[in-house]
Amino acid sequence: MRRLIPSLLALLALTPAISAAEAVRFVSCPVYRDTDAGRKSGCWLAEERETGRRFDITPSATKPDWSMGVLVEGRIAEKQDNACGAPLLEPVRVSVLPEMACTRAMIPAEGFPGRRFVLPPRNIRPLYAPDPAPPPPYTAKLFPIPFDFGRDFAVYQQSDWMLVNAATYAKAAGGTVRIIGYAETQPFTLSGQTLAEPADLARRRAEKARLWLVGLGVPADKVSLEWRENPAPLADPAFDGLTETSRRRVDIRVEP
Amino acid sequence: MRGSSVGAFLSLLMLGALSLPAAGQGAVWWSPGDGTPFPAQLDDVDGDGTTRLLLEGGPMQTKGHPFFEPKGDDGRACVTCHQPSDGMSLSAETARRRWAETDGKDPLFAAYDGSNCPDLPQGERASHSLLLDHGLIRIARPWPPVDAAGQRVEPDFTLELVRDPTGCNASKSWGMAAEAPRVSVFRRPRPVANFKYILAMGFAIDPKVGEPLPIDPATGQMVSGNLLSDRRVLSLEAQMQDAAHTHLGLRQGLTAEEQRQILDFELRLFVARQQDRIGGDLDEGGARGGPETLARSEPGRLGSQGMAVFSEFAAWEKIPADADISPEQRAYRESVARGARIFREKMFLITDSAGINSPVGFGNPVRNSCVFCHNMSQMGMDVAPGQVDLGTTNMPFADPQPHLPLFRVTCKGEPHPHYGRVIHTHDPGYALTTGLCADVGKITLQTLRGLTGRAPYFANGSARDLRAVIDYYERRYNIGYTEQEKRDLVNLMGAL
Ligand code: HEC
Ligand code: HEC
Repeated sequence: MRRLIPSLLALLALTPAISAAEAVRFVSCPVYRDTDAGRKSGCWLAEERETGRRFDITPSATKPDWSMGVLVEGRIAEKQDNACGAPLLEPVRVSVLPEMACTRAMIPAEGFPGRRFVLPPRNIRPLYAPDPAPPPPYTAKLFPIPFDFGRDFAVYQQSDWMLVNAATYAKAAGGTVRIIGYAETQPFTLSGQTLAEPADLARRRAEKARLWLVGLGVPADKVSLEWRENPAPLADPAFDGLTETSRRRVDIRVEP
Repeated sequence: MRGSSVGAFLSLLMLGALSLPAAGQGAVWWSPGDGTPFPAQLDDVDGDGTTRLLLEGGPMQTKGHPFFEPKGDDGRACVTCHQPSDGMSLSAETARRRWAETDGKDPLFAAYDGSNCPDLPQGERASHSLLLDHGLIRIARPWPPVDAAGQRVEPDFTLELVRDPTGCNASKSWGMAAEAPRVSVFRRPRPVANFKYILAMGFAIDPKVGEPLPIDPATGQMVSGNLLSDRRVLSLEAQMQDAAHTHLGLRQGLTAEEQRQILDFELRLFVARQQDRIGGDLDEGGARGGPETLARSEPGRLGSQGMAVFSEFAAWEKIPADADISPEQRAYRESVARGARIFREKMFLITDSAGINSPVGFGNPVRNSCVFCHNMSQMGMDVAPGQVDLGTTNMPFADPQPHLPLFRVTCKGEPHPHYGRVIHTHDPGYALTTGLCADVGKITLQTLRGLTGRAPYFANGSARDLRAVIDYYERRYNIGYTEQEKRDLVNLMGAL
């Protein structure tokens, strides 16, 4: 088997104009690299067409569908491992664009190892061993919930975990909960594609958040609902420093 | 005698355990109302080994018990389709034997759902071919759907009939254009046992739909969402009322006391393979097969976070060289242990399976093994609500089933993520409950225990035997199992 050179220098030398921490944002078709380091170890790659740079977008909580376009928003990782044969983006958020048809592309591992699956830190605890309720004092607290572009789906092992945290806090703190849903209806153009979210998505996201809170035990009559378009971006750990993605969010404000 | 069986042995002494004779000698048929007491431990012996039913908490009188007493005009009972000697389901072979023994007069063959369609001539075998040849019961779903709270659901797709070999979907009295419009699909009885697991909730969420677990409108409580192929009910109570109105033809439904009795029986009953003709007891030599382990374990745990799925057989991976067993027994046990490893560890690409590859972000494709979907320790069902489109009912992945109806689904809103706007299906499955085209062909994963007595497999009976199940997966996902791996998996399935 071919020896790999997982050094950042070597990798960066092979690829034009890559610098760590640089933010990248583009629309493209994904390529699946069939690496095998056990379950969920396949690699997802996508090329920024403007520059011809191909990136490893595997760490996104939402993985691509090989027949649909992707909106990629990320940052070139400080620590490169070359597990997938392209510079790694981390943090990275991928949104699947069902309207953008792609030809399925799968390439072999070509000696790249892929990454062993490790349970991400944002994972919901089982019912038999739940997280303890947060201790007092209870102050007003904001829980921003990120959403993928164009969707009201609570992203697995990311937004779902944040929704559970919001519900746990709201139940412990009591008081009221204000839910404000947002959508990015202002069109923006990336990689020659113009994207804009539909206006009713702000409401659907807010309703989805309410479904979670009430489903998880927050009294329905304590929850109020609002929705708006095109919020200012929000710098919050929920977005892992990818502040652009925060225009597609729900704010849950717990007010004890 | 092993410690784990002492309780069962005692109950056997005190109350008499029942051992049903081997299939060759004609397996026992439980007729409604015959009054045989249900023992604490019931061993069903067939040509290849023994399946054991364990009634936790001791034996039960079936005389007057609503699961066993004939109800309604047909003389049917729940036990008609949930037979103890078929792992509490009903095999196609048993249906055929019953037809031969009773000249087609058994209440099992009642016109409503024991025939291809009630308006066919009931005396003819051909009118019952789906039950006799494929073990299928007619399930008539209202169209458009009605949800668990009784509200009409506005579907986001249209449903047209492409082919109707039973005539029931086109029937003026029973079909899709009848006064009370119904869609007829044909399904295998699911086993009535192991509900501690089927009702268990591992997490408060259903990651497949990105929502919290469903809430039973009757109680306001979260539920597992793992009942019936299409999750049309959310509790055993709602299920038994549904069964009473349909399968049993009761207009009144069941009384509260009858419901309590059925529930008590259902919650106490466990089924698993106990013994193999060649391999011996499945809880010997350090292994923990058989129903005792089921009765004693905590349900609803993810194999990846606790006890690995089917690691009950881990001790058989390294059988001591001087173990006092025959070479055949050793070979069988090692094969079962390998099968469990293959089930967990042999990876393949899972593609275009809604519920897994969409809408949750695992990716399409995603590399994983059998245990990705069958992830609950001991049981091999899904810890989360298990509605997944394996392709068993949807073209082009379904094997040809000329005897089944074929529907054309046209999505009115968003196209289906994997099939596009138009889908051809034998059974829309979960979509008959939600009215969503994204759910077409999703079927709730079943328990994988006590499989041997209930062939054929999959909700539509399309896999003749356990080998055919493995062959389906091999075709569906192009896995590349070796012949030995297939045999190991079949041996594992047979040992569950
Ligand atoms: C005519 C045959 C028939 C009769 C009689 C019958 N069932 Fe069933 N049962 C089925 C079929 C078929 C299914 C699967 C239906 C589906 O998946 O849509 C099923 C499923 C079930 C399930 C769901 C199991 C699971 O894991 O999802 C339960 C519980 C059940 N039956 C209980 C009963 C009870 C209680 C009665 C009597 C009140 C009864 N059945 C009578 C055929 C029958
Ligand atoms: C993508 C999810 C998924 C994967 C992976 C998967 N299954 Fe399944 N399995 C299902 C679903 C869904 C059903 C129910 C389908 C139906 O009844 O039509 C099922 C049903 C079954 C059944 C039938 C049980 C019965 O009572 O009829 C068996 C046996 C089975 N699976 C074994 C396996 C084995 C062995 C593997 C690995 C080769 C495997 N499964 C991989 C989803 C999956």
